[in-house]
Amino acid sequence: MMRTDWRDHDWQLIHTAPQSPTLHMALDDVLTHEVGAGRRAPTLRIWEWASPAVVIGRFQSLRNEVDSEAARRHGIEVVRRVSGGGAMFIEPGNTITYSIYAPQSLVKGLSFQEAYAFFDAWVLQALGELGIKAWYQPLNDITSEGGKIAGAAQVHRGGAVLHHVTMAYDIDAAKMLDVLRIGREKLSDKGTVSAAKRVDPLRSQTGLPREAVIERMVATFRRLHGLSDGSLRADELVQAEALGHTKFSSPAWIGDVA
Amino acid sequence: MHGEYKMPGGKLVVIDLAVRDGRLADVQLSGDFFLEPDSALDTINRALEGHPEHADEAALAASVRHALSADVMMYGLSPEAIAVAVRRALHREAEA
Repeated sequence: MMRTDWRDHDWQLIHTAPQSPTLHMALDDVLTHEVGAGRRAPTLRIWEWASPAVVIGRFQSLRNEVDSEAARRHGIEVVRRVSGGGAMFIEPGNTITYSIYAPQSLVKGLSFQEAYAFFDAWVLQALGELGIKAWYQPLNDITSEGGKIAGAAQVHRGGAVLHHVTMAYDIDAAKMLDVLRIGREKLSDKGTVSAAKRVDPLRSQTGLPREAVIERMVATFRRLHGLSDGSLRADELVQAEALGHTKFSSPAWIGDVA
Repeated sequence: MHGEYKMPGGKLVVIDLAVRDGRLADVQLSGDFFLEPDSALDTINRALEGHPEHADEAALAASVRHALSADVMMYGLSPEAIAVAVRRALHREAEA
Protein backbone atom coordinates (compact mmCIF):
# COMPACT_ATOMS: atom_id res chain seq x y z
CA MET A 1 0.00 0.00 0.00
CA MET A 2 1.40 3.37 -1.09
CA ARG A 3 0.94 6.47 1.02
CA THR A 4 -1.71 8.70 -0.58
CA ASP A 5 -2.36 12.41 -0.32
CA TRP A 6 -5.66 14.24 0.30
CA ARG A 7 -5.73 15.29 -3.35
CA ASP A 8 -5.44 11.70 -4.54
CA HIS A 9 -9.03 11.17 -3.38
CA ASP A 10 -12.42 12.41 -4.55
CA TRP A 11 -13.74 13.76 -1.23
CA GLN A 12 -17.49 13.79 -0.71
CA LEU A 13 -19.44 15.97 1.72
CA ILE A 14 -22.46 14.67 3.62
CA HIS A 15 -24.41 17.27 5.58
CA THR A 16 -28.03 16.26 6.12
CA ALA A 17 -31.00 17.23 8.27
CA PRO A 18 -30.72 16.47 12.02
CA GLN A 19 -30.52 12.79 12.95
CA SER A 20 -30.88 10.89 16.22
CA PRO A 21 -27.83 10.16 18.38
CA THR A 22 -28.26 6.41 17.80
CA LEU A 23 -28.36 6.86 14.02
CA HIS A 24 -25.18 8.94 14.16
CA MET A 25 -23.38 6.11 15.99
CA ALA A 26 -24.57 3.62 13.37
CA LEU A 27 -23.71 5.87 10.40
CA ASP A 28 -20.10 6.08 11.59
CA ASP A 29 -19.94 2.30 11.67
CA VAL A 30 -21.58 1.82 8.24
CA LEU A 31 -19.73 4.59 6.38
CA THR A 32 -16.33 3.46 7.68
CA HIS A 33 -17.09 -0.02 6.31
CA GLU A 34 -18.27 1.39 2.99
CA VAL A 35 -15.06 3.39 2.50
CA GLY A 36 -12.96 0.41 3.61
CA ALA A 37 -14.73 -1.82 1.10
CA GLY A 38 -14.23 0.72 -1.68
CA ARG A 39 -17.97 1.22 -2.21
CA ARG A 40 -17.84 4.87 -1.11
CA ALA A 41 -15.35 7.62 -1.88
CA PRO A 42 -13.58 9.15 1.13
CA THR A 43 -16.10 11.34 2.91
CA LEU A 44 -16.44 14.28 5.28
CA ARG A 45 -19.70 14.12 7.23
CA ILE A 46 -20.97 17.09 9.25
CA TRP A 47 -23.40 15.99 11.95
CA GLU A 48 -26.64 17.72 12.89
CA TRP A 49 -28.17 16.55 16.14
CA ALA A 50 -31.92 15.98 16.48
CA SER A 51 -31.79 15.66 20.29
CA PRO A 52 -29.42 16.02 23.23
CA ALA A 53 -27.05 13.20 24.09
CA VAL A 54 -24.11 12.07 26.12
CA VAL A 55 -21.76 10.11 23.86
CA ILE A 56 -19.40 7.91 25.84
CA GLY A 57 -16.22 6.35 24.49
CA ARG A 58 -16.02 2.67 23.54
CA PHE A 59 -14.18 1.74 26.77
CA GLN A 60 -15.75 4.08 29.29
CA SER A 61 -17.74 2.75 32.20
CA LEU A 62 -21.35 3.87 31.90
CA ARG A 63 -21.74 3.98 35.68
CA ASN A 64 -18.46 5.82 36.30
CA GLU A 65 -18.98 8.44 33.58
CA VAL A 66 -22.69 9.25 33.57
CA ASP A 67 -25.20 10.20 36.24
CA SER A 68 -28.05 8.30 34.57
CA GLU A 69 -30.68 9.79 36.86
CA ALA A 70 -29.57 13.35 35.97
CA ALA A 71 -29.49 12.41 32.27
CA ARG A 72 -33.08 11.16 32.49
CA ARG A 73 -34.16 14.29 34.35
CA HIS A 74 -32.72 16.50 31.60
CA GLY A 75 -34.10 14.27 28.80
CA ILE A 76 -30.62 13.36 27.59
CA GLU A 77 -30.03 10.08 25.77
CA VAL A 78 -26.84 8.16 26.54
CA VAL A 79 -25.12 6.41 23.61
CA ARG A 80 -21.81 4.61 23.18
CA ARG A 81 -19.67 5.19 20.10
CA VAL A 82 -17.35 2.78 18.28
CA SER A 83 -14.17 4.71 19.09
CA GLY A 84 -12.26 5.22 22.32
CA GLY A 85 -11.80 8.57 24.02
CA GLY A 86 -13.89 10.52 26.49
CA ALA A 87 -17.52 11.41 27.09
CA MET A 88 -19.11 14.27 25.18
CA PHE A 89 -22.09 16.31 26.24
CA ILE A 90 -24.18 17.27 23.22
CA GLU A 91 -27.08 19.67 22.85
CA PRO A 92 -28.32 20.50 19.34
CA GLY A 93 -26.73 23.74 18.24
CA ASN A 94 -24.04 23.57 20.93
CA THR A 95 -21.47 21.45 19.18
CA ILE A 96 -19.93 21.05 15.75
CA THR A 97 -19.30 17.37 15.11
CA TYR A 98 -17.75 15.86 12.00
CA SER A 99 -16.44 12.52 10.80
CA ILE A 100 -13.76 11.82 8.23
CA TYR A 101 -13.90 8.38 6.59
CA ALA A 102 -10.57 7.84 4.88
CA PRO A 103 -8.54 5.04 3.37
CA GLN A 104 -5.73 3.96 5.70
CA SER A 105 -3.26 4.82 2.94
CA LEU A 106 -3.76 8.51 3.81
CA VAL A 107 -1.96 8.07 7.14
CA LYS A 108 0.32 5.18 6.24
CA GLY A 109 3.60 5.36 8.11
CA LEU A 110 2.39 8.04 10.53
CA SER A 111 2.43 7.51 14.28
CA PHE A 112 -0.95 7.76 16.06
CA GLN A 113 0.04 11.19 17.32
CA GLU A 114 0.92 12.37 13.82
CA ALA A 115 -2.24 10.87 12.34
CA TYR A 116 -4.50 12.75 14.77
CA ALA A 117 -2.85 16.07 13.97
CA PHE A 118 -2.82 15.25 10.24
CA PHE A 119 -6.59 14.72 10.06
CA ASP A 120 -7.35 18.06 11.72
CA ALA A 121 -4.73 20.33 10.13
CA TRP A 122 -7.45 21.82 7.88
CA VAL A 123 -9.54 22.64 10.97
CA LEU A 124 -6.65 24.50 12.61
CA GLN A 125 -6.34 26.47 9.39
CA ALA A 126 -10.09 27.22 9.29
CA LEU A 127 -9.97 28.34 12.92
CA GLY A 128 -7.00 30.57 12.09
CA GLU A 129 -9.04 32.16 9.31
CA LEU A 130 -11.69 32.89 11.95
CA GLY A 131 -9.10 34.60 14.13
CA ILE A 132 -8.59 31.74 16.59
CA LYS A 133 -5.06 30.63 17.30
CA ALA A 134 -5.55 26.92 17.86
CA TRP A 135 -3.16 23.99 17.96
CA TYR A 136 -3.11 20.25 18.43
CA GLN A 137 -2.55 19.04 21.96
CA PRO A 138 -1.62 15.36 22.00
CA LEU A 139 -3.02 12.92 22.32
CA ASN A 140 -6.33 13.98 20.83
CA ASP A 141 -7.36 17.56 21.64
CA ILE A 142 -7.63 20.80 19.70
CA THR A 143 -6.93 23.62 22.11
CA SER A 144 -6.42 27.38 22.22
CA GLU A 145 -5.14 30.00 24.63
CA GLY A 146 -8.63 30.17 26.13
CA GLY A 147 -8.91 26.42 26.66
CA LYS A 148 -9.90 23.22 24.95
CA ILE A 149 -12.00 23.52 21.80
CA ALA A 150 -12.40 19.94 20.60
CA GLY A 151 -11.64 16.28 21.14
CA ALA A 152 -10.93 13.69 18.45
CA ALA A 153 -11.07 9.90 18.25
CA GLN A 154 -10.01 7.37 15.63
CA VAL A 155 -10.85 3.78 14.87
CA HIS A 156 -9.46 1.53 12.13
CA ARG A 157 -11.59 -0.95 10.21
CA GLY A 158 -10.65 -3.07 7.23
CA GLY A 159 -8.64 -0.62 5.17
CA ALA A 160 -10.39 2.50 6.43
CA VAL A 161 -9.88 4.89 9.30
CA LEU A 162 -12.62 6.87 10.98
CA HIS A 163 -11.52 10.16 12.50
CA HIS A 164 -14.31 12.02 14.26
CA VAL A 165 -14.27 15.22 16.27
CA THR A 166 -16.65 17.10 18.50
CA MET A 167 -16.01 20.83 18.90
CA ALA A 168 -17.67 22.93 21.59
CA TYR A 169 -19.63 25.78 20.01
CA ASP A 170 -21.56 26.76 23.10
CA ILE A 171 -21.94 24.94 26.38
CA ASP A 172 -24.25 24.71 29.35
CA ALA A 173 -21.44 23.87 31.76
CA ALA A 174 -23.72 23.50 34.77
CA LYS A 175 -25.89 20.94 33.00
CA MET A 176 -22.83 19.13 31.64
CA LEU A 177 -21.34 18.78 35.12
CA ASP A 178 -24.71 17.60 36.42
CA VAL A 179 -24.76 14.72 33.91
CA LEU A 180 -21.08 13.80 33.49
CA ARG A 181 -19.01 12.55 36.38
CA ILE A 182 -15.62 14.17 35.80
CA GLY A 183 -13.18 12.80 38.33
CA ARG A 184 -10.32 14.59 39.98
CA GLU A 185 -7.75 12.07 38.70
CA LYS A 186 -8.67 12.96 35.12
CA LEU A 187 -7.81 16.61 35.77
CA SER A 188 -4.62 15.85 37.68
CA ASP A 189 -2.21 16.77 34.89
CA LYS A 190 -4.32 19.43 33.20
CA GLY A 191 -3.33 22.17 35.63
CA THR A 192 -6.88 23.30 36.28
CA VAL A 193 -9.29 22.59 39.10
CA SER A 194 -12.56 23.42 37.43
CA ALA A 195 -13.76 21.09 34.70
CA ALA A 196 -16.02 23.82 33.32
CA LYS A 197 -13.00 26.06 32.79
CA ARG A 198 -11.27 23.46 30.64
CA VAL A 199 -13.50 24.18 27.65
CA ASP A 200 -13.60 27.48 25.76
CA PRO A 201 -16.32 27.29 23.15
CA LEU A 202 -16.24 28.68 19.61
CA ARG A 203 -19.21 30.97 20.10
CA SER A 204 -17.45 33.21 22.59
CA GLN A 205 -14.21 33.05 20.62
CA THR A 206 -15.64 33.91 17.18
CA GLY A 207 -18.88 35.80 17.89
CA LEU A 208 -20.22 34.02 14.80
CA PRO A 209 -23.33 31.87 14.36
CA ARG A 210 -22.64 28.13 14.38
CA GLU A 211 -23.66 27.86 10.70
CA ALA A 212 -21.05 30.45 9.74
CA VAL A 213 -18.30 28.50 11.51
CA ILE A 214 -19.36 25.31 9.69
CA GLU A 215 -19.48 27.19 6.38
CA ARG A 216 -15.91 28.41 6.93
CA MET A 217 -14.72 24.91 7.84
CA VAL A 218 -16.30 23.34 4.75
CA ALA A 219 -14.86 26.08 2.52
CA THR A 220 -11.39 25.52 3.95
CA PHE A 221 -11.59 21.75 3.46
CA ARG A 222 -12.82 22.29 -0.11
CA ARG A 223 -10.01 24.71 -0.92
CA LEU A 224 -7.24 22.58 0.60
CA HIS A 225 -8.33 19.05 -0.24
CA GLY A 226 -11.14 19.27 -2.80
CA LEU A 227 -14.73 18.41 -1.84
CA SER A 228 -17.86 17.54 -3.83
CA ASP A 229 -21.36 17.73 -2.42
CA GLY A 230 -22.53 14.17 -1.90
CA SER A 231 -25.31 12.38 -0.07
CA LEU A 232 -26.06 9.26 1.89
CA ARG A 233 -27.11 6.36 -0.31
CA ALA A 234 -30.50 4.83 0.48
CA ASP A 235 -28.92 1.44 1.20
CA GLU A 236 -26.43 3.04 3.61
CA LEU A 237 -29.27 4.70 5.51
CA VAL A 238 -31.28 1.45 5.65
CA GLN A 239 -28.23 -0.40 6.96
CA ALA A 240 -27.53 2.29 9.58
CA GLU A 241 -31.14 2.37 10.75
CA ALA A 242 -31.08 -1.41 11.16
CA LEU A 243 -27.79 -1.27 13.12
CA GLY A 244 -29.23 1.53 15.23
CA HIS A 245 -32.14 -0.70 16.23
CA THR A 246 -30.27 -3.95 16.73
CA LYS A 247 -26.98 -2.73 18.21
CA PHE A 248 -26.51 0.91 19.08
CA SER A 249 -29.76 1.41 21.02
CA SER A 250 -29.44 -1.90 22.88
CA PRO A 251 -28.70 -1.92 26.62
CA ALA A 252 -26.08 -4.62 25.91
CA TRP A 253 -24.05 -2.19 23.77
CA ILE A 254 -24.64 0.97 25.81
CA GLY A 255 -23.82 -0.88 29.05
CA ASP A 256 -21.10 -3.03 27.48
CA VAL A 257 -18.61 -1.57 29.96
CA ALA A 258 -20.92 -1.25 32.96
CA MET B 1 -12.85 -1.68 44.70
CA HIS B 2 -11.94 1.12 42.35
CA GLY B 3 -8.64 2.61 41.19
CA GLU B 4 -7.85 5.39 38.72
CA TYR B 5 -4.58 6.43 37.12
CA LYS B 6 -4.01 9.25 34.65
CA MET B 7 -1.15 7.87 32.60
CA PRO B 8 1.43 10.66 32.10
CA GLY B 9 1.14 11.71 28.45
CA GLY B 10 -1.73 9.24 28.12
CA LYS B 11 -5.34 8.78 29.10
CA LEU B 12 -7.35 7.88 32.19
CA VAL B 13 -7.05 4.22 33.15
CA VAL B 14 -9.69 2.86 35.53
CA ILE B 15 -9.94 -0.52 37.24
CA ASP B 16 -12.92 -1.90 39.14
CA LEU B 17 -12.42 -5.25 40.82
CA ALA B 18 -13.22 -7.49 43.76
CA VAL B 19 -10.98 -9.78 45.81
CA ARG B 20 -12.15 -13.33 46.49
CA ASP B 21 -10.04 -15.84 48.43
CA GLY B 22 -7.07 -13.50 48.14
CA ARG B 23 -7.31 -13.28 44.35
CA LEU B 24 -8.47 -10.63 41.86
CA ALA B 25 -12.00 -11.23 40.57
CA ASP B 26 -14.55 -9.42 38.37
CA VAL B 27 -11.78 -7.24 36.94
CA GLN B 28 -13.08 -4.47 34.69
CA LEU B 29 -10.76 -2.10 32.85
CA SER B 30 -12.30 1.14 31.56
CA GLY B 31 -11.28 4.66 30.60
CA ASP B 32 -10.93 7.17 27.76
CA PHE B 33 -7.98 5.42 26.10
CA PHE B 34 -7.79 3.96 22.58
CA LEU B 35 -7.51 0.21 22.10
CA GLU B 36 -7.92 -1.88 18.96
CA PRO B 37 -9.38 -4.31 18.30
CA ASP B 38 -11.97 -3.60 20.98
CA SER B 39 -12.07 -7.30 21.94
CA ALA B 40 -8.66 -6.73 23.58
CA LEU B 41 -10.52 -5.19 26.53
CA ASP B 42 -11.87 -8.60 27.55
CA THR B 43 -8.48 -10.20 26.95
CA ILE B 44 -6.91 -7.76 29.41
CA ASN B 45 -9.66 -8.28 32.01
CA ARG B 46 -9.18 -12.04 31.80
CA ALA B 47 -5.39 -11.74 32.05
CA LEU B 48 -5.74 -9.93 35.38
CA GLU B 49 -8.34 -12.28 36.80
CA GLY B 50 -7.02 -14.67 39.46
CA HIS B 51 -3.78 -12.85 40.29
CA PRO B 52 -2.91 -12.89 43.99
CA GLU B 53 -4.01 -9.65 45.65
CA HIS B 54 -0.38 -8.92 46.56
CA ALA B 55 0.94 -9.30 42.99
CA ASP B 56 3.31 -6.45 42.19
CA GLU B 57 3.07 -4.02 39.29
CA ALA B 58 5.73 -5.79 37.26
CA ALA B 59 3.91 -9.13 37.43
CA LEU B 60 0.55 -7.56 36.56
CA ALA B 61 2.00 -5.62 33.62
CA ALA B 62 3.83 -8.69 32.33
CA SER B 63 0.71 -10.84 32.28
CA VAL B 64 -1.24 -8.14 30.42
CA ARG B 65 1.54 -7.84 27.85
CA HIS B 66 1.79 -11.59 27.33
CA ALA B 67 -1.96 -11.96 26.85
CA LEU B 68 -2.09 -9.46 23.98
CA SER B 69 -1.21 -10.41 20.43
CA ALA B 70 1.24 -8.28 18.46
CA ASP B 71 -1.47 -6.59 16.39
CA VAL B 72 -3.19 -4.94 19.38
CA MET B 73 -2.90 -1.15 19.24
CA MET B 74 -2.81 0.96 22.39
CA TYR B 75 -2.85 4.75 22.43
CA GLY B 76 -2.88 6.52 25.78
CA LEU B 77 -2.75 3.14 27.53
CA SER B 78 -0.01 0.66 28.48
CA PRO B 79 0.33 -2.58 30.47
CA GLU B 80 2.28 -0.60 33.10
CA ALA B 81 -0.50 1.99 33.47
CA ILE B 82 -3.08 -0.78 33.84
CA ALA B 83 -0.93 -2.34 36.57
CA VAL B 84 -0.75 0.98 38.45
CA ALA B 85 -4.55 1.32 38.33
CA VAL B 86 -4.92 -2.25 39.67
CA ARG B 87 -2.55 -1.53 42.58
CA ARG B 88 -4.43 1.69 43.33
CA ALA B 89 -7.74 -0.19 43.42
CA LEU B 90 -6.24 -2.69 45.85
CA HIS B 91 -4.64 -0.01 48.03
CA ARG B 92 -7.64 2.25 48.24
CA GLU B 93 -8.51 1.30 51.79
CA ALA B 94 -4.93 1.63 52.97
CA GLU B 95 -4.77 5.15 51.48
CA ALA B 96 -8.02 6.33 53.02
